[in-house]
Amino acid sequence: MHIVLLGVNHRLTPIELRERLAFRSEQLPAIFARLREEVGLQESLVLSTCNRVEIYARVPEVNGSVDRLRRFLSDHGGVSVTELAQQAYCYTEPQSIQHLFSVASGLDSMVLGEAEIVQQVKRAYESAREHGATGKVFNVLFQRALNTAKAVRTQTGIGRGSTSVGTVAVELAEKIFGHLGSAVVLLVGAGKVGELTLRRLIDRGVKDLRIMNRSLERAVELTERYEATPVALGRLEEQLVEADIVITSTSAASYLLSRADVELAMKRRHQRPLCLVDLGVPRNIEPAAGCLDNVYRFDVDDLQGLVMHAHRERQHAVEASQAIIDDKVDRFLAWWREDADACAPLLSEHAAAR
Amino acid sequence: MVIIHMTCSLLSYAAFLVAFICGILFLVQERQLKRKHIGVLFHRLPSLMALDRANLIAIGAGFALLSAGLAFGLIGSKVLLGRWWISDPKTYMATLLWAAYLVLWVMRMRSTLRGRRVALLSILGFSLVLFTLLQASYLLSSAHPYL
Repeated sequence: MHIVLLGVNHRLTPIELRERLAFRSEQLPAIFARLREEVGLQESLVLSTCNRVEIYARVPEVNGSVDRLRRFLSDHGGVSVTELAQQAYCYTEPQSIQHLFSVASGLDSMVLGEAEIVQQVKRAYESAREHGATGKVFNVLFQRALNTAKAVRTQTGIGRGSTSVGTVAVELAEKIFGHLGSAVVLLVGAGKVGELTLRRLIDRGVKDLRIMNRSLERAVELTERYEATPVALGRLEEQLVEADIVITSTSAASYLLSRADVELAMKRRHQRPLCLVDLGVPRNIEPAAGCLDNVYRFDVDDLQGLVMHAHRERQHAVEASQAIIDDKVDRFLAWWREDADACAPLLSEHAAAR
Repeated sequence: MVIIHMTCSLLSYAAFLVAFICGILFLVQERQLKRKHIGVLFHRLPSLMALDRANLIAIGAGFALLSAGLAFGLIGSKVLLGRWWISDPKTYMATLLWAAYLVLWVMRMRSTLRGRRVALLSILGFSLVLFTLLQASYLLSSAHPYL
C-alpha cells in the first residue's frame, strides 16, 4: 500500500503546460470516477491551482499505477507521455507526504508562506470527499495536512509580515489606528498601486473613502466601483483635517503637501494621528512632514523596504517550519503503519474465509 | 477612614503604573513606526490608538482615585487629629502629584497634547509617584511612616 503523488508546479513547469493539465472543478466528479476505475486508485485527490496541478493517490503497488496515472494525466492535458515525464515530479511516501505538508504550509508557494493555499487544499479535500474519492487513510492524511499548516503558521513566522506594498501600508495603518472600520481614507491620484492599496483597506473594513483625481472620468469610475465620495481638487486642505489615512499617487512635479500644510492641518485636527502614504515618484509629500508629532509618513522606499524585510523574515522561518513538518510526517507514518498492522489480521481472516 | 484613604491612594498608584506601562509601549511602537523599522515586538504590540486610549483611561481613573484618597486623608486628619492639614513632606508631594496629573489629564482631554508627549509625561509622572511612595518611608521623616 503506497501513497504516491504525480504533479507539476510553478518551479519546474511553464504556465503553458500547467494550464493544459489543470482540472476545472466541474470536471472532477467524472475525473474521480475514472481515476478509480481506469487507473485503479483506491483513494485519490486532485489539487489544481494556478501554481500547481497535483494528483495524490493511494495505490496497491507503485509501478503499474504510476504509469497508468501518468498516461491518464498526459491524455487529459493532451501532452505526450515523454514530455510529461520530463516536467512532472513523482514521489512515493514519505516524500509524497512531506511534499503535501509543505505545500499546505505555503513552503512551496510562489510567495513563501501565503495563506490562500490552505483554503485551496481544503477545497480540494472537500471536493474529493464529497465525490467519494477519499477513504480512511486520505481523510486522516489531509486533515493532518491542514492541521500541520495551521501549526506551522501559528508557531513560526512563515506567514508574518506583508509581502506587497498595498498590504504593508494597511498593516502600518492598523498599527496606528487599530481597527480601520471608522477610519476616513483619502486617495489623491488614482494610479494602479493606489487603487490596490485602496482595495486592501476596504478588505480591512474601511467604509469612508474619498477620492480626488485630476481626470474626472477616472475618479467617477473609481468612486462608483468602491462606493467612495469624489472630492474636488482644490479641497485638499480641508480634507486633510477629516481624513485619517491619506494616500497620494500623483505624478505632480512639486510637493502636493508641504510640511507647513501638514503642521497646520495637525493643529486643526487637534493632533489626532495622521497616516500619510506617499506612493508618488517624485514624492508628493515633503519628507520633513514625517517629523511632526503624531504624523506617520511612509514613501515607496519605506514600504518596499518593509516588503523585503517580510520576505527575509519568512525565509528565516523555513527551517523551523520544516522541523514541524518532519515531525508531523513521522507521526502520520506511525499512525498509518499501526493502522495497517491492525487491519492486516482482519484482511487475512477475510481472505481465509473466502 | 485611614484604610479607605490608603486603598484609594494605592489603587491610584496602580492606575498610574498602568499609564506608565502604556506610555512605554507607545514610545516603543511609535519609534518603530517613525523609523520604519519592524522589530520583534511590532506584531505583538497593540496599535498606537489603543495604547493612547488605555493611557488616557488609566490616567483618568488614577486621578479620580487619587482625589478620593486625598479627600479621605483630609477628612481622616480632621476627625483623628482635629485639623485638616498635616504639614508633612508626603502631603506636599501627594498634592503636587495630584496637580501634575490634573494638568496632564486636562491637556489630554482638550487634545492640546496627544500621543508621544502624553506618553512621555505619564512616564515622568510615574517617577513622581515612586518618589512620593518611597520618600516617606526611606528618605525623609514623615507622619506617614508606612508606604
